[in-house]
Amino acid sequence: MPVAELKERHAAAIEAVNDLRERLKQRRQQLLDTDVAGYARSQGRSQVTFGPTDLVCCRTLQGHTGKVYSLDWTPERDRIVSASQDGRLIVWNAQTSQKTHAIKLPCAWVMTCAFSPTGQSVACGGLDSMCSIFNLNSATDRDGNLPVSVTLNGHKGYVSCCQYVPDEDIHIITSSGDQTCVLWDITTGLRTTVFGGEFQSGHTADVLSVSINGANSRVFVSGSCDGTARLWDTRVASRAMRTFQGHEGDVNTVKFFPDGNRFGTGSDDGTCRLFDIRNGHQLQVYYQQHSDKEVPLVTSIAFSISGRLLFAGYSNGDCYVWDTLLARVVLNLGSVQNSHENRISCLGLSADGSSLCTGSWDTNLKIWAFGGHRKVI
Amino acid sequence: MAARSGGSSSSSVPTLPPPCPRSPPEYPDLYGKRREAAKTQMLEREISFLEEELKSVEGLQPASRFCKEVTDFVMANSDPLIPTRSRKNRKSCRFWKWLCGIPCFNLSWICCCCYSACSCHLKCLQCCDCDLCNCSSCICSLCKCRRCSCGSSEHSSCKCSSCDLPSCKCSSCDCTSCKCSSCNCDPCKCSSCDCNPCKCSSCDCNPCKCSSCNCNPCKCSSCDCNPCKCSPCDCSSCKCSSLCDCSSCNCSSCNCSSCKCSSLCDCSSCKCSSCNCSSCKCSSLCDCSSCKCSSCDCKSCLSCCTIPKWRCKCSSCNPCHCNPCLSCCSIPKWRCCSFPKSGCCQKISCSRNCCIFQCPSCTGCFCCKWKCSCPKVTRCCSCTKTSCNPCCLFF
Repeated sequence: MPVAELKERHAAAIEAVNDLRERLKQRRQQLLDTDVAGYARSQGRSQVTFGPTDLVCCRTLQGHTGKVYSLDWTPERDRIVSASQDGRLIVWNAQTSQKTHAIKLPCAWVMTCAFSPTGQSVACGGLDSMCSIFNLNSATDRDGNLPVSVTLNGHKGYVSCCQYVPDEDIHIITSSGDQTCVLWDITTGLRTTVFGGEFQSGHTADVLSVSINGANSRVFVSGSCDGTARLWDTRVASRAMRTFQGHEGDVNTVKFFPDGNRFGTGSDDGTCRLFDIRNGHQLQVYYQQHSDKEVPLVTSIAFSISGRLLFAGYSNGDCYVWDTLLARVVLNLGSVQNSHENRISCLGLSADGSSLCTGSWDTNLKIWAFGGHRKVI
Repeated sequence: MAARSGGSSSSSVPTLPPPCPRSPPEYPDLYGKRREAAKTQMLEREISFLEEELKSVEGLQPASRFCKEVTDFVMANSDPLIPTRSRKNRKSCRFWKWLCGIPCFNLSWICCCCYSACSCHLKCLQCCDCDLCNCSSCICSLCKCRRCSCGSSEHSSCKCSSCDLPSCKCSSCDCTSCKCSSCNCDPCKCSSCDCNPCKCSSCDCNPCKCSSCNCNPCKCSSCDCNPCKCSPCDCSSCKCSSLCDCSSCNCSSCNCSSCKCSSLCDCSSCKCSSCNCSSCKCSSLCDCSSCKCSSCDCKSCLSCCTIPKWRCKCSSCNPCHCNPCLSCCSIPKWRCCSFPKSGCCQKISCSRNCCIFQCPSCTGCFCCKWKCSCPKVTRCCSCTKTSCNPCCLFF
């Protein structure tokens, strides 16, 4: 086919895609007869209210010397791993606030970390484009450092996020700046499946976040700089099951809703949104008007165990606690006493939902729950 | 080819240009074309996906149905992070039970109140019915129901020493979550005990009354119960040594007037009797590495520093041998072990006091100084006063 004809065909295809997307958007808009907040108000639901001592910082974990970029809890809720650009992973005992491991990383530019389901190992990734696995029970080398037990090499861009497949210590999913997500087999160190990428129907920009469905570990969702979130089935690599449009900026973070049928997103457009995976509906937008022109970016989100609360960290240091049913901010952890002094970059809820851990660019982590405070260094 | 020389030439032969290298032929940009074709193919694939999705959307139900699902799911599940004021007596009790019901050493990590001898700043909710907050096995005497363990239902008496808000705990009750909701004043602290809030080790009743001595009521200076007016204050349960500001307090077993080893002490001048670390606050909160149990020199004995000393499990700590000596269980063990127990008294409660009595030298008649009211006291032969006569006692 002549090049000119090819280019014509290409342009026509672009126009057809845009037209179809617009029609799809309008059709979906017609189906949005209400949102979650509208429905909850019609049912007379009352807002969650917090007293001054209801949700307080009860631990401050100090030890990192650089910005904290990522954190993760063990399923047993008693340990936390955090990653910082001081080049270390620290494993904390959440009960005593003591550090059980301080792992020096081969590459200091770490962006993500995760605890394995058994709590025996931790994974991390970053600008080195690799995902490194550390076995916490390994012996340290002569320098006292924990050696890397497995290196997952294959991404062509930075590793932005990683998460172990629930109940499996041998599979992990990573997202990358090379526009793909990858399912890895840790025992072999090889890629099992690549989702998206060149000539595949996937994200068209850097993928920044993944979240695996706790109810069905074959399903995960990814968020990307292309402004979309995509739903994937690990058995089908050729295309995403569904693409969720709506955000007007990079989707920085995605998290599944506790029921496994919905997920939340946080974006550079300053909004968090709730989508339904079965039908693609955008059920709610969580957005707080700001008086100044600059809209803070959403950096991280987490749902409480019932789904009633949505914790969202913003680039201006705020950490809003949203009432998900009424779409109202009920608390700002960024402005309470003893809060972080800088942007909250990561959030994580313990497995039993009894506490929230936040990590910040102020190098600290804080654990929030009902109770008093104890600062431990 | 011979060059032409001068002279005439019979025929003209065209001159060929000198040889020069040929430029490479221009190959077609196949890669670019293929790339363009691949992009077009991708777009056409995307078109088919979008058409497919458009068809599926036609049969979709409106969003309200799914909003209902979200609402129903959320309302059906409880959430430990959500205040349950409307269900405070039940759900909060269960939460507090979970929080405090486990022995403190393995207590729920989230229980600030039970961590390290319960330097609790938690406000115990009105779990009047809860049997949760009675962790007898845990250090946290704080985790006690607001309703006094004496059974008094007189909540109005439960007042913080620093303010009169009724949410503050009764000085005689064990509920350490006593905390004015409107202020952060520490719950009342009985000077006679290490724990916080005020808890007479000798009694649980309200008002705080040492059963071993008749000082009534035992009122610690730091709490609202009548100031400790043991004259002299010999109540072992009256932990005036730690918190007593009463000038007449002469707890003979401890001379550390500033020693605020109660778990909630935050006095900057607090010094553990076993160390001079000025930053060493309450044993339970002490994180000073130099803080040592007086009875042991193990710097690494963290248990000594983080929990009441009587629970110190450091092997070098002198174990207390006085089994019935309940006071040993409520006062630092170093006190118990440092001084012999009086044999005069058979009463359990009395023995507590005896344990903190100094061993009299009997060079002079110290009998008059003892105020033990134990009826089994044998009077000193040289003293006619009715007072405990340790001189006649066996140690």
